[in-house]
Amino acid sequence: MPRPFRLRRRPTPTSFLPTGAWIVVLVGVVSSAVFLSWPPTERPGREFWIFSNQRLTDYESAIADWNRDHPDARDQINITLLHLSALERRMMAAATADAPIADLVEGERDLVARVFAGPIEEVGFVDLTDRIAAENLLDQFNAPSLSPWISRGRIFGLPHDVHPCLLGYRSDIVEAAGIDVSQIETWDDFYRVLGPLIADLDGDGRPDRYLLNYWENQRDQTQALLLQAGSQFFDDAGHVTVDHALNARVLARLVTWVTGPNRFCVDAPEFTAGGDQMRLEGTVIASIMPDWLAGTWKNYIPGLAGKVKLMRLPAWEPGGRRTSVWGGTCLSITTTAPDPEKSWAFAKHLYFSPQVAEGLFRSTATISPVKAMWSRPFYHEPDPFFSGQKVGARYIREAPFVPERASSPFNTMVMDRLMVVLIDLKAHALEHQRFDPIALEPEARRLLAAAQADLEARVGRNVLYRPPPSP
Amino acid sequence: MTPRRAALIPVYVALIFFAVITLIPFIWMITSALKTPEDYFTSFFLPRGEGWGGIAWERLTADNFRRLFREFPIGRAMVNSCMLASVTSTLATFICAMGGYGLAKFSFRGRTWLTSLVLGALIIPGPLLIAPSYQLLWQLGLLNSYAGLILPAIAPAFGVFLFRQAMLNAVPPELLEAARIDGAGEFRIFFTIVIPLVRPMIGAFLLITFLGAWNNFIGPQIALQSPEAFPLSVAINNLRGLHGTEYGLIMSGTLVSIAPVMCLFLLLQRDFISGLTSGAVKG
Repeated sequence: MPRPFRLRRRPTPTSFLPTGAWIVVLVGVVSSAVFLSWPPTERPGREFWIFSNQRLTDYESAIADWNRDHPDARDQINITLLHLSALERRMMAAATADAPIADLVEGERDLVARVFAGPIEEVGFVDLTDRIAAENLLDQFNAPSLSPWISRGRIFGLPHDVHPCLLGYRSDIVEAAGIDVSQIETWDDFYRVLGPLIADLDGDGRPDRYLLNYWENQRDQTQALLLQAGSQFFDDAGHVTVDHALNARVLARLVTWVTGPNRFCVDAPEFTAGGDQMRLEGTVIASIMPDWLAGTWKNYIPGLAGKVKLMRLPAWEPGGRRTSVWGGTCLSITTTAPDPEKSWAFAKHLYFSPQVAEGLFRSTATISPVKAMWSRPFYHEPDPFFSGQKVGARYIREAPFVPERASSPFNTMVMDRLMVVLIDLKAHALEHQRFDPIALEPEARRLLAAAQADLEARVGRNVLYRPPPSP
Repeated sequence: MTPRRAALIPVYVALIFFAVITLIPFIWMITSALKTPEDYFTSFFLPRGEGWGGIAWERLTADNFRRLFREFPIGRAMVNSCMLASVTSTLATFICAMGGYGLAKFSFRGRTWLTSLVLGALIIPGPLLIAPSYQLLWQLGLLNSYAGLILPAIAPAFGVFLFRQAMLNAVPPELLEAARIDGAGEFRIFFTIVIPLVRPMIGAFLLITFLGAWNNFIGPQIALQSPEAFPLSVAINNLRGLHGTEYGLIMSGTLVSIAPVMCLFLLLQRDFISGLTSGAVKG
């Protein structure tokens, strides 16, 4: 018979576990007790996911109105703010796992396009084409603003915005130098007229002021500039078409903007403290500015109030397009949601609401894609931040001219590859000390041809979404 | 002063220098949390003014902290984070310790195969599992519940393998056999003999998993549907605008969110360091 096991010394709690571990256990017990006595409230009704915290406030009253008019708990709208990457992961996870997601989702352009990477009947959003046609809504929207939400001829989202681009510039510096920006029509004019502002202010031999916030790693600005020039990355059938003389010409010119003797750009990234500091100090004179960016500057760089103005984007060629487009959001109804008719009714309630349009404009300077809204007085008020200019009216004037954009699931991949081409082209220019755009075009074309072949091979791997063979 | 002490002076000077460099971002964060949006860009640390030392002391404000607790559900998020991180790390530590002990000290059919399976699981990238995990949680009815977040995290392959290695080195089989001969049951052996022997690893792993759960950002947004259930990491991020940031508010939120973790690190640092370095020197 074995002796019963006995420890020689009575163990203390800390001989088993470190003090910190006991504290974690204690915190676990206490916080669990608090959590159990304070459970999250159940929210019956329709889930509506968004990714911009500003819209929580912008939509508040419209949702309250809807909930008041629809007292049935199943029709109440619950809005949830998610980080864009979490929203994307939930959407993609739900699409691949066939699990439920929200009833309504506000999706950003690249995210929504990724959902199109499959057979049209498998897209996780309700096809709104027939509803829009039956209710004669098509003409009510700014036509180019619909393009990012159309896949294979079918519309899968209501446009939230237009996002035309203007050029925001430091009017205090420009006007102090006696420069008249009305002389600027093209990007060449822009460099010629504003060029004298590139200056070495501290005498160290290097310029302390540049004309444009642009750098070869700025993907969104590059895309806006390419779209402005008329580039299309896909043809109507969805084939990649990046190997194009126009793209080569634009990329070659962009390289000379960021390097070489005529460099006039500087990297002052948006949404960063460092970039904001450069804008405040006047290191950069001008920035490509979609409407939402004008709102961002107003909200987050108050030090620029009264020192900036807006002008039309310089064109690539005389008589060319004086605007572009940057960003975009749509409202979609998910196919897994019950009673899509109610969700559709809510979508119209939200996006056709003048109060929501006014809230969006006042909080973020975003203009509505619903043309009937454009005559509303709030778009035509002078804005002290932009030196008294009528900001809304200026953006609205450009709205019909924003370029159309393809809604291919390969958008992101194509732009990423074009960025590689641009970086390689800059390296080539530096290596050969060649900074003439015309001289760079053959190399640009060679790099684009390689990019085209690479992209075609990668697009061809998707067995679910394959553009029809070229004729 | 002895020559030996004098020789230490440059070492201490260098250490103080690097300590100050290390602390600069932290000090910057504290001063930024106390500044108004207007002052944020005007000075690096404290706003310049007429006060003592050329600093505008009167412009320092606790408004960011006040707003944090009044306008945003930070209190609720703090409770959620404490619960999520402490329960997840406690359960994960014990379950991984048990799993590691089983693999290290028990002979059974399929042990090698099971160890290889655990090792193989280490190389599966997390994002690959998002869609199947989401579907599984949905089918098990665990979406929008903390169980859906805690259960998948309580037996990470990394932890099981870490404890297996610790048990192999730190727990002599003779000790286990002696305890068995003396009549101790397996659970008693585990809790009274094995756990104290791997105590440093317990501290280290607990801290690692606590930090992982505390900082988990995407996971809660995928598994939890209700904003009230979101932990601090998500709540702090929601303070950021889509395109702009109120830096003072973010800094105050960040300070609030790192304070508990710093306290825990101070409590566990000895175990954390000895846990990480155990076996590093061949004795």
